[in-house]
Amino acid sequence: MDIREADLTKTYDAVVVGSGAAGGMAAYVLAMHGMQVLLLEAGRKLNIEQELRSMQWPYDHPRRGEMPPDYHALGAREYRIRRPPYAAGSPYPHVESYVQGWNGADYSKNIVVDEKDHPYSGTNYAWVRARCLGGKTNIWGRLALRLSDYDFKAASRDGFGENWPISYADIAPYYDKVDLLLGISGVKENLDYLPDSIFQRPIRLNYAEVKLRESLARSGRVLTPYRAGVTTDGVKNKYRSHCFGRGACNRHVGGCDIHAAFDSPTGLIYPAADTGRLSLRTNATVYEVLADKDTGRARGVAFLDTETRRTYEVKAKAVLLAASTLESARLMLLSKSRQHPNGIGNSSGHVGHNFCEHIMGPSVTGIVKELVGKPHTLDDGRPGGFYLARFRNLKERHPNFIRGYGFEGSSGSAMIPSNTMSTPGFGAEYKKKVREYSGAFIHMGGFGEVLARYENYVDLDPQLKDQWGIPVLRFHYQFGDNEKKMAADMADTARQMFEEAGFEVVHVSRQLLTEGWSIHEMGTARMGSDPKKSVLNQFQQAHDVKNLLVVDGSSHVNASCQNPTWTIMALCWRSCDHLADQMKKGEI
Amino acid sequence: MRGEKRAQPTRREVMGAAALVAGRLAKAAPAPRQGESAFFTPEEFALVDELTEMIIPADEHSPGARAAQVAAYIDRRLAEALEAQPKEIWREGLRRVDDAAHTLHGGPFLKLTPEQRTEVLTRFSLRDPFFPELKARTANAYYTSRIGIHQEMEYKGNVYLEQFVGTDVGKADR
Repeated sequence: MDIREADLTKTYDAVVVGSGAAGGMAAYVLAMHGMQVLLLEAGRKLNIEQELRSMQWPYDHPRRGEMPPDYHALGAREYRIRRPPYAAGSPYPHVESYVQGWNGADYSKNIVVDEKDHPYSGTNYAWVRARCLGGKTNIWGRLALRLSDYDFKAASRDGFGENWPISYADIAPYYDKVDLLLGISGVKENLDYLPDSIFQRPIRLNYAEVKLRESLARSGRVLTPYRAGVTTDGVKNKYRSHCFGRGACNRHVGGCDIHAAFDSPTGLIYPAADTGRLSLRTNATVYEVLADKDTGRARGVAFLDTETRRTYEVKAKAVLLAASTLESARLMLLSKSRQHPNGIGNSSGHVGHNFCEHIMGPSVTGIVKELVGKPHTLDDGRPGGFYLARFRNLKERHPNFIRGYGFEGSSGSAMIPSNTMSTPGFGAEYKKKVREYSGAFIHMGGFGEVLARYENYVDLDPQLKDQWGIPVLRFHYQFGDNEKKMAADMADTARQMFEEAGFEVVHVSRQLLTEGWSIHEMGTARMGSDPKKSVLNQFQQAHDVKNLLVVDGSSHVNASCQNPTWTIMALCWRSCDHLADQMKKGEI
Repeated sequence: MRGEKRAQPTRREVMGAAALVAGRLAKAAPAPRQGESAFFTPEEFALVDELTEMIIPADEHSPGARAAQVAAYIDRRLAEALEAQPKEIWREGLRRVDDAAHTLHGGPFLKLTPEQRTEVLTRFSLRDPFFPELKARTANAYYTSRIGIHQEMEYKGNVYLEQFVGTDVGKADR
């Protein structure tokens, strides 16, 4: 692999800001089109196999996978009780987000950002960020779902918000391309509201999951094996292995050191580098998109070297933002000029607005009585358990809320039992109960659409700056009535579905987790056909600035209830094909 | 979040006789592992070793917390803790265990008979906010240990597999 160093004297065909799912895809597609691409990543390039150590046993780690004593992970209560910036005044030298409170956190502490360096302000928000080559794809949950016209044309169905400027037919060929390039595991279900991918070998369901699938089928609901962005049969890519069901996927935060799970570096960036046309600079935090004084077009970017704090400029014919939904919006708002007084691409005033994601929290746990005391099975080597597809507001209308939700769940044994604290007492009886019940639980939690509303937004904090002196985001974002009513229904139906399957329900959570928990932020620079109500056209080009593209989740018009990563990559591929075509024709 | 499950004391009992208790414990405790404990005193270490073994004892299925060296792991983690709070919680919590032993049976915990110890810990577990912390750290240390994972839970994963375990669905049932 030959990743070139950045040459700041030359004009690149394209500069891509950010190296996660979107940035990696942009670099890959444009380099394949023969373009000279510079990829800028704000964080470090980590030796990721050494970070993840996927098969290390807990007892071979000095803290059984937990972080060193000078690190603190924010807890659910801290996000509720306190206001951001959450790390302010903490006695700990390092403060990280809630995902670092899960077991195995030591393996991802260098992937997730230190909140002390990266503050933000405003309303409560659990913002999880990864600054390193590959970004959050190094540790993502891997659920890879397609959207459908139930999502793209949702406004036509229920009258709320805007339709996307594309339909499923426009993006379907690009979903196919992503499936084939990166590999996805799943089972065909022929659902018009959750289209199938081109699947590789599926994950198998265990006893309890099959039981739930059969019970749900009686009411027309579909539980399908986890659609994982994991190659189970292998792909033509020398940097990735196929899945061997080893078990570290069950370790939160995940990560896969043989790269069977998709990550941007091995899936996209290294293959892009093999063209010889990709240059990369890490530790390069872009703080401004530079606009030409006369035309207002993007002429390049200004960035700061996070180690030396020196600033640089680099020129490009096209600028592609892929810094994540919130960071791309921040960067547009930071890029003020005479031509773009409200920030580049923001003549509509919609940058930072229509911010949306998924609600989380409502969940159910049940006991499968016939599994109690049975020998433990090997269930945690799978990249996931199951996905229960949306069933609300498809054919009929729910009286209390619009849009839908799905559930992710799993059942069976894991390396470390989950029932050690829920099992009462102590002693021989306690030990026996933990052992006999630990493989008999089934659990699922919901992900529901947060409506994209103009009044949910981020802007720049007028005072607060990050470690490098760059103004930070201020949140103005809260769940509304639709989300709360949807959450109540999620909890009720979750319980009902478990009871109907014959599980003994032992816990139902009804509480919404703090805003941001889903790590699925979207919408801050949405696409649309009307430049007054949207930021980007259907090819993710800024209406105001033709050679500026925003190719990450910020372009999404609504959140749907499906996880966004596969859609981010399919859309980005489509836009980059279009950009390459325009550049070849001399239109850009 | 694991950290949040740990209960924290809502009150601090006044322990006027703490020094006296510690003195008595020293005589009662089995030979402390000299130089091994980093945070606990030898007396505290012996008490933690006994309490953790009572929570997860050896049985016919597998060895318990003592064999898994749970006390030593808890000791190391507390020794390196940045904040004083968890250390205080443990020091005071252990003192209250002995206090409860004195109240019920007039002697330090380790001097009591096995039946008396079980009675004291049972009562303690129902009313003292230190117990969930004691149990959480014990379970965490035990079930992440070699004995906990391989002997007690008989975990079979973390190996290379050619095929997932379970049932194929799809063509068969639709």
